Amino acid sequence: MLTKRIEDARQNYINSKPAISYERARIWTESHKKTEGESIPVRRAKAFKDTCQQLEVKIFDGEIIVGAVGEFRKCGILTPEFSWTWVDREMDNFDKRVQDPYVMTDEQRDYVRKNVFPYWKGKSLEESFLARLPEDSAKVAVDTGIVDNDSKWRQAVGEITPDYQDVLFKNGFGGIIAQAKKHMETLNEISADNLKKKEFYQSVILTSEGIISLAKRYSQKASELADSETNEDRKSELLKIAKICAKVPENPPSTFHEAIQFVWFTQLGGILSENPLALNVGRFDQFMYPYYKSDIEHNIMKKEQIQELIEVLWLKLSEWVWTISANTAEFFAGYNQFQNLTIGGKTRDGKDAVNELSYMALEATEKVMTHQPGLSVRIHQDCPKEFLDAVTHLVSKGTGFPAIHSDQAGYQMLINAGYEPEDARDWNNCGCVVPHFRKTGEWTSAVNINITAALEFALNKGVNRINGKKMGLDEADPRTFTSYEEVEKAFYRQFDNLIKHSVISTLVAQNLHREMVPRPFLSSCIENCLNEGVDLVDAGAKYNLGPVLTGIGLAVTANSLAAIKKLVYEEKCTDIETLIDAIDADWEGYDELRQKALNVPKYGNDINYVDDIAVNMANHYYKESHKYKDINGNNFNTAFMGISNYLPAGKVVGATPCGRKAREPLSEGVSPFAGTDASTPLAAMRSAARLNQDVHSGGTLLNLRLNEDLVRTKRGQSNLGSMIQAFFALGAFHVQFNTVSTETLLDAQKHPENYKDLLVRVAGYSTQFVNLSRSMQDAIIARNAHDKF
Amino acid sequence: MNGYFMEPQNFSVNDGDGIRTVIFFAGCPLNCKWCANPESTLDFKRVSFNKKTCIGCGKCTEICPVGVNIDLNSPGQREKCISCRSCMDICPTNSRKKLVRIYSDSEILEIIKSQEIFYRYSNGGVTFSGGEATLQRDMLRILVNSLYDKAVDMALETSGYFDFDEVKDILTKLDLIFVDIKHMDEKKHELYTGKGNKKILENIKKMNELDVPIVVRIPVIDSVNSDEDNIKKTAVFVKENIKNPKIELLPYHNFAEEKYECLGLAKMSDNFKRPSNEFLSHLKMIIKNEGAESVSYI
Repeated sequence: MLTKRIEDARQNYINSKPAISYERARIWTESHKKTEGESIPVRRAKAFKDTCQQLEVKIFDGEIIVGAVGEFRKCGILTPEFSWTWVDREMDNFDKRVQDPYVMTDEQRDYVRKNVFPYWKGKSLEESFLARLPEDSAKVAVDTGIVDNDSKWRQAVGEITPDYQDVLFKNGFGGIIAQAKKHMETLNEISADNLKKKEFYQSVILTSEGIISLAKRYSQKASELADSETNEDRKSELLKIAKICAKVPENPPSTFHEAIQFVWFTQLGGILSENPLALNVGRFDQFMYPYYKSDIEHNIMKKEQIQELIEVLWLKLSEWVWTISANTAEFFAGYNQFQNLTIGGKTRDGKDAVNELSYMALEATEKVMTHQPGLSVRIHQDCPKEFLDAVTHLVSKGTGFPAIHSDQAGYQMLINAGYEPEDARDWNNCGCVVPHFRKTGEWTSAVNINITAALEFALNKGVNRINGKKMGLDEADPRTFTSYEEVEKAFYRQFDNLIKHSVISTLVAQNLHREMVPRPFLSSCIENCLNEGVDLVDAGAKYNLGPVLTGIGLAVTANSLAAIKKLVYEEKCTDIETLIDAIDADWEGYDELRQKALNVPKYGNDINYVDDIAVNMANHYYKESHKYKDINGNNFNTAFMGISNYLPAGKVVGATPCGRKAREPLSEGVSPFAGTDASTPLAAMRSAARLNQDVHSGGTLLNLRLNEDLVRTKRGQSNLGSMIQAFFALGAFHVQFNTVSTETLLDAQKHPENYKDLLVRVAGYSTQFVNLSRSMQDAIIARNAHDKF
Repeated sequence: MNGYFMEPQNFSVNDGDGIRTVIFFAGCPLNCKWCANPESTLDFKRVSFNKKTCIGCGKCTEICPVGVNIDLNSPGQREKCISCRSCMDICPTNSRKKLVRIYSDSEILEIIKSQEIFYRYSNGGVTFSGGEATLQRDMLRILVNSLYDKAVDMALETSGYFDFDEVKDILTKLDLIFVDIKHMDEKKHELYTGKGNKKILENIKKMNELDVPIVVRIPVIDSVNSDEDNIKKTAVFVKENIKNPKIELLPYHNFAEEKYECLGLAKMSDNFKRPSNEFLSHLKMIIKNEGAESVSYI
């Protein structure tokens, strides 16, 4: 049962459209006008502090965890220092756009056009990026859907897990200030390095003072509201809030309520500082457990009250909205902020880590059905059966939650990346499916690379079939290819070229982030940054991993190569000219050939013929990407993540030899192409597990649709648990399930009003089905539902 | 050795414990009017035709030596078809198919091998079904012996209609036997299945001596065998003759309807109906009252 407080907030969450607040942008801009000429970290820190001191303090009805990003309860903010041009271009259509619309009034638009955007003209990250990106990279890397990294130059990086264990709960921001001051005193030697460090500490002191002052303002506001509150229960709640906010986050928390309020203030600080993607909560059940235990033992709170607080946090995490461009929204559909929260797994010393909070987190997601946090579980081979049962029980509810990860594979990925074993055991998830850690700096979703486009360029003289533009390398006429090896060689050449441009655009973006957008607030949440006096943008974290390139369309590309190999060069039932003609014609008039192509073995059915092609491709992808180094000298990493990238990436690719029609979605992560995993989910799992997943440290994603009947009973859920464990024993990293029936989804398209809270798995995350564009909804319905008994 | 099979089905979860592979043997001594695998009792060479996936390209008519139309199930065509199967190889959409195929024992074992990890984690295994698996007892024996040595869990779904002594050695190596009692009335049993139930009931008594757990299954069909009297008699028989008396009720379904259509067979009788859930619960109570356990693998 939900308490009335939760149900009210939940109804507001599912029924209201997010509204844009320009307050943070206004204050940020006014602050920057006053600090011209000062160092960048200090300017950004001052802007943050000003925001904390001036932003309206809002306590909404019934709230017991407080802190708002703007004046609206469901609210997104603007960060013009990263990019304002897309907002200027798109905001007149904010409420009309297909994916992730926002509410914004004419007055608001007027205000930002007059008072905010003019200041940033020529000063934003986006403008600098576009000015610096070499032309031949820009051709394939700017709003093309071929090489896409716009979330790294129109947005902040995010992708951080604040360290509650070793930094925040230990010291509070008051303690961080004290530490920074102490460090500054030791920097006596005159050097450029030390000057920079001093600036860093100065910026950290400013942001820490900022977040403390914001909390104190909330404390004061709560006291004022308590004074005029007539309801005695609410009055005492407000007084409690006042007390808590006076204490945290300045000081370490001592109760669960204080700790959870601390967590939200940290999220809030991160949001106000940069509107981040994937600001992860981290291992919630681990760092919160001591407070839970102590509260229960000392009778400070009852279990039900703690459960309610957890549900309140879930709602808070869902109420702020990641404001993004229409293009980014295509790639990250569904108002998703990717605040990942990880439960289960092992402790640093290798023992089972599951505790009461692990179960309570699963229960919270089942009850409130919010799309945030991105609930992830770590499952190890000796994980308690009760926990696995609780996980599959939640899967059976059809929310797509939780994302299920192999503890061992995550550990191995981080060991491969150079982690110490204890740290590797302590991993949490970032964004959707990236093994990550609270002492790590990494661009976990740096670029999306359209692998299938590389095949198109190989088979079309470097030209994109949809827009007719030359976007790839020069290539011989495909009609002259006399062997499969020639086709494959041309494909890899084009693929490597896309990797190269991905690297270039990432390096340009990395350099600019270092110059323009240092991150004092989030750096203050990372232990090594504080100890060394080095910002995250300067690789201050203990582990700095190379940026992750995400490959899109693995299955489609492997299927297509298999089709060429088999039909043209092995069975010779067609020739390469005819096949190219068929693709040029989008298969119109080539029904029979298309059927033959569709009948060639497809990835996802446990068939070596095609799976081997996918394995080779994935291995090559890793080796080629890993060759390059980022601005900190770290090797680039690879991933086959989902996000919703396979839709926009499909829109820019013509028909493919596997039988896919032009503009249709590609395939996501390591998942089979929608509808082609016709055998069993076990076969799909075996295919996916072949891919040497542990080298792709940016994460791998398998999305399966199961018929809801399969998991309706406890017995069905147990079998699902066994399936998951077997999949992980094969070496795989991640799987998640949609268990909503096709009928339900079709009905939800017809009657969205009845399904406002229906969550579905998009890819790597769940979101409300009705908040997805029609094409995204169709893509989800198209996934093969495994229903065989 | 080769045998006749329908397509093996991995990821089966209702035919025994855990995640299983069901191996469907073709051929059956009975001829139940509601059979869900009708291809098993027909000429194994019979070609099926799926109108829904056909794109009408006409390739099949070009190659057909006896001039069969695209729609193999339209009037007069089945009579012409000589089951030479040349259309199957040429059909681009697999709309012309054989539902019964020859597999060697090693092919079957290879399929099973790829699934073993899923059995291990789920306490699953292999279920031999059909048709009637014991009808190809030499093939069954090879498979059972081989899997027994690999310690793979094995179940059998049988009609119970076989010569006990011929298959006794096979049965002793199984971990679970599902055996049907389709009707307790000898005459009705013969009416609906083509054979009487005497041999089946005798075999059940003999199987009870083998120390292999037995679950008696009743395909519950309204208008055929769902009456209280029949269920009660079945329960009494099971209680009297099986050490750990267990019964699973399998309510009738018409999932095979499309198969009947593709094979060009007349539709199953509309009189066959699935009993209501309420009535099924009532029948389970009857079973319980007679001292047998009502089990379910759903």
